[in-house]
Amino acid sequence: MILIQIALNALALGAAYALVAIGFVLVLNATTAVNFAHGEGVVAGGFAAVALAVILPPGIGIPGFLLLPGVLVATAILGLLIGALAYLPIRNRPPVTVFVTTIAVGIIIANGLNATFGAAPRTAPPLIGVGSIEFLGASISRQSLAIIAIAGALITGLALLLQRTQLGRQFRACAQDPEMARALGIRLTRITMISFALGTAFAGAAGLLLAHQFFISPSDGGILILKAYIAVVIGGWGSLRGATAGAMLIAIFEVGVATLWSQPLAEGLLYVAVLLVLFVRPQGMFGEPQQVRA
Amino acid sequence: MNLRTTLALIGGGALLVYALFFASSYDQRILTLSGIYVILVLGYQFIFGHAGALSLAQGAFFGIGAYTTGILGSQYGTGFLITFPLSIAVAAALAALVSLPVLRLKTHYFALATLALSQLLLLIAVNWEAVTGGANGLPGVPPITIFGATLTRGLPLLLFVWAIVGIAILLAHWQLRGGRIAAFTIMRETPLAAPAFGIDPGLLRLRAFLLSAAFGGAAGALFVHTNRVVSPETLGFGVMITCLTMTVVGGRFGLLGAVIGALLLTHLPEWFRGLDEYYLVAVGVLLLAAVVFAPNGIVALVLPDHPQPKRSPVRATRLTATPALVQNTGVDARGLEKSYGGVRALDGVDLSFGPGDIVGVIGPNGAGKTTLANALTGLTPLDRGRVTFNGRDITSAPPHAIARAGLTRTFQTPQLPDALTVRQVIETAQIANGQAPDADDALNRLGLNAEAETACGTLPHGLRRRVEMCRAIAIHPAVLVLDEPAAGLSPEEQAGIGDICKTLAASGMGILLIDHNIDFLAPRATRLICMEAGRIIADGPPTQTLSNPAVRRAYFGVIA
Repeated sequence: MILIQIALNALALGAAYALVAIGFVLVLNATTAVNFAHGEGVVAGGFAAVALAVILPPGIGIPGFLLLPGVLVATAILGLLIGALAYLPIRNRPPVTVFVTTIAVGIIIANGLNATFGAAPRTAPPLIGVGSIEFLGASISRQSLAIIAIAGALITGLALLLQRTQLGRQFRACAQDPEMARALGIRLTRITMISFALGTAFAGAAGLLLAHQFFISPSDGGILILKAYIAVVIGGWGSLRGATAGAMLIAIFEVGVATLWSQPLAEGLLYVAVLLVLFVRPQGMFGEPQQVRA
Repeated sequence: MNLRTTLALIGGGALLVYALFFASSYDQRILTLSGIYVILVLGYQFIFGHAGALSLAQGAFFGIGAYTTGILGSQYGTGFLITFPLSIAVAAALAALVSLPVLRLKTHYFALATLALSQLLLLIAVNWEAVTGGANGLPGVPPITIFGATLTRGLPLLLFVWAIVGIAILLAHWQLRGGRIAAFTIMRETPLAAPAFGIDPGLLRLRAFLLSAAFGGAAGALFVHTNRVVSPETLGFGVMITCLTMTVVGGRFGLLGAVIGALLLTHLPEWFRGLDEYYLVAVGVLLLAAVVFAPNGIVALVLPDHPQPKRSPVRATRLTATPALVQNTGVDARGLEKSYGGVRALDGVDLSFGPGDIVGVIGPNGAGKTTLANALTGLTPLDRGRVTFNGRDITSAPPHAIARAGLTRTFQTPQLPDALTVRQVIETAQIANGQAPDADDALNRLGLNAEAETACGTLPHGLRRRVEMCRAIAIHPAVLVLDEPAAGLSPEEQAGIGDICKTLAASGMGILLIDHNIDFLAPRATRLICMEAGRIIADGPPTQTLSNPAVRRAYFGVIA
């Protein structure tokens, strides 16, 4: 029965990581560049939840999931700011430049939060009560169930948006070939900015989901972006499905190794695994489209 | 002496006067730290600036140097003269170890791999308490002692660190001598074409990575002697961020930029003291502003790069005096096959040509002409088949080795870095091929004397094509592959290119000439080949190939 609990915890962690990784890919596909401030998006989401919980009248014990709309809006605005400050001014320069500007914005966000909230880890309210539900002899954490439900709903919503709407088709066109999409009359800048907003909001939602059980501190961004990055390398550069699968794999690996041995070992082995993957397959697990022509 | 050097010397003198007579012991500590960061940044400029690769391992090399000195010094009392070289060696060894898997990665994977490496080392430092002292680190690192003299903190250490900064600057300068900056620029700006002219990108990148690690290790070792404690903070991402910010703010390339960037960023906390905990927010804003408004650093903003003093453009007129070519038996390709997914770009191509041949290649778009050029010059690995050049199997040889052996090419789109002058581009190729840098003869032959000192980015299309061709013949190849050299040129320019081809062939060069323009090709080619769907469908004298019914159907759309 303990196995079911562990599996569920891994699934919940994977679902939260998947939100982070999907958000990362949304921006990646629109800009062909890595948004290094994405981890700070998760942190900002967590602190938005902490802050919102303070503003709301205490005592009524408002469940954390009701904070979701507020967190989404706050981090979507943050995403627009990241896009406007770190991408738009340098969009015509090599993608490596975006790396540096988003690192800069990450520093600004992390240290801004640090100066405002302090360096100590904070916790957000539980999503839907504390404790666990007894089910078939296993005790299942309410928090894990809520994480899976919320992440599932958000991912399903995004899938519907991308598959069923005109905006979604424009997203996919830009992801395949930004220049061609622009030539066909798609407003690339608009799609790019929406990608930043949506991608960062997904990161923010993950922050809300993770911030109760795992706490959140301003310096957590680095490790979160690293995991999203690894998920995307494992799942295939630019693939949303791959990012989800990669995130799940990382979570299972992490929870498994941490349960059997220790958390630092889980983290260390993850980095070793990434280096090995890149050693064996320098083009990433599933390769990337080649566009260079002599 | 140019303006930059003069200002640097004046600034250095002022700094020395300040350090000797005005600086408090706290100021001296900050200046010592600045010197340490200068060394770190000088190293980082090699990999991030010159090689253009976003390494996130510079902090890790710093930390490795720090821990090597820290552990040996505090636990075994090992002296500076042993720990310092060892710190450099261990950092460089780590770089060498990971270079094989890591250096061939593309930008975003390279950044990830170097970041994962850094995190791994940090994790080890925090958790391997028996050796590293864990999160608290190891206290009791001895001061620097050389030849019986102990360098106490304050002025002695400050002067010693800056003496090493001086050595580091000279070393960096020496590493960038002899056109190596230009070679780095070509590798960075035109990665595809660089090897076709004999530049080995792998070797250049490795050199940059090892240098960055060695400088990083040295900086880390000095840092630990300054702090007398080694702790995981030396491996933290903070060092990396500081180094990146210094490099971006000061400038990615210049030696002066490294000094200015490090001095500025170490003194910033003093000047921004009023900001308290928002200080690091200000650093982020500064980094962002530097990237957006001063892409080449603030030094370049204040002292823009002046063009090099012009050498006399024409030294001697030695028109058509062709150097003797290496005796060669030409190119022999057998059974070349290459598929891209389901498309067979080369489907069993046999081709051989020798000295003095001008082999024209025509064919509809997508027939496999450029793939053939890429396959012969080693840019595209073949699925099957064998290419022999001058009796030597070059099928799986790297493109830079093929170029050095005497087989080179030009590209459909001229591959020239905007910032370099025509002369620099040509002479860099000559140096990469082990020849003396002397562009004048080749410039004369292509009538480019007037453009020798012009930046390639400002040249019109026709001249860019000529520069490419000039670079190719300047390294005296035995066989030259020209991919649409006349496309987009005026009839006069085309005739000029054609005449050059005939002169070169007459001197014994073998030429493969890909083009669409029959009027350009037919009078000059000794043989004309037509490709279609990855196969050679006709091969013979131009008149014979052009009257071939299959050629007329495939290429001209005429049903004969």
